[in-house]
Amino acid sequence: MTETASVTGAALMSAVSGLSARSRAIADNIANIQTPGFQSRRVAFEDAVAKAAGSGRREVTGHSQALSLEPTRMDGNNVNLDTETLQSIDTGMRYQLALRAIDDRFGVVRAAIRTMG
Amino acid sequence: MSSFPVFGVAGSGVTVYRKWLDAVSDNLSNINTVNPAGEDAFQARYVMARSVQYGEGIGGAQVAGVELGDPNGRMVYDPSHPYADAEGYIRTPDIDMASQMAQLMMAQRGYQANLAVVDRARDAYSAAINVGRNS
Repeated sequence: MTETASVTGAALMSAVSGLSARSRAIADNIANIQTPGFQSRRVAFEDAVAKAAGSGRREVTGHSQALSLEPTRMDGNNVNLDTETLQSIDTGMRYQLALRAIDDRFGVVRAAIRTMG
Repeated sequence: MSSFPVFGVAGSGVTVYRKWLDAVSDNLSNINTVNPAGEDAFQARYVMARSVQYGEGIGGAQVAGVELGDPNGRMVYDPSHPYADAEGYIRTPDIDMASQMAQLMMAQRGYQANLAVVDRARDAYSAAINVGRNS
């Protein structure tokens, strides 16, 4: 995809793939809310994207997974439904925002094509 | 939590009120728990909230700790009870049901208020994302 050939495009693609990984992790956490010994998972990608974009690298960065630091319950599980639900809403909004930004970039290309025609 | 900070702040409030609800339900479920006079009574749980300094973090509230009520409880004269001591006394927790019910309502309202903030913020952010589009 040529869109990733620019720094902004690569950063946006990294954001979208990181956010979708985070959505999956949240769904997994909520699914395991009653699983004894299950530790909630958090997906991080923002710092990696910021670093790549800051140094002008035009590549899609990956994401990393870590365990949540929430207090653990008696059964060894530490999924907090409030946190997960709000993270899910937050991730959804960020996803929308990132897709809008990508769409706007294509909008510029579309406008250019129309002007030529 | 930088682009949509309200979710983090309101979420911290939701967690504090949920823990308060947990504590009140624990207190109410143990309101009739009887102990022998020689042992401590069930101690009521009181959730202590504190604010997170805005600027230090994203702001919001957090649970600073859980304080316990009076271990002496109330001595009740009930000589037929299996736990009664030589004088006929048992130890019951010093929990006032009216106060617990009032706390239950406050915790529930606080929980709902924080979730209402989340809903309003989601609408506002959606409008911001879609600004300048006529669809």
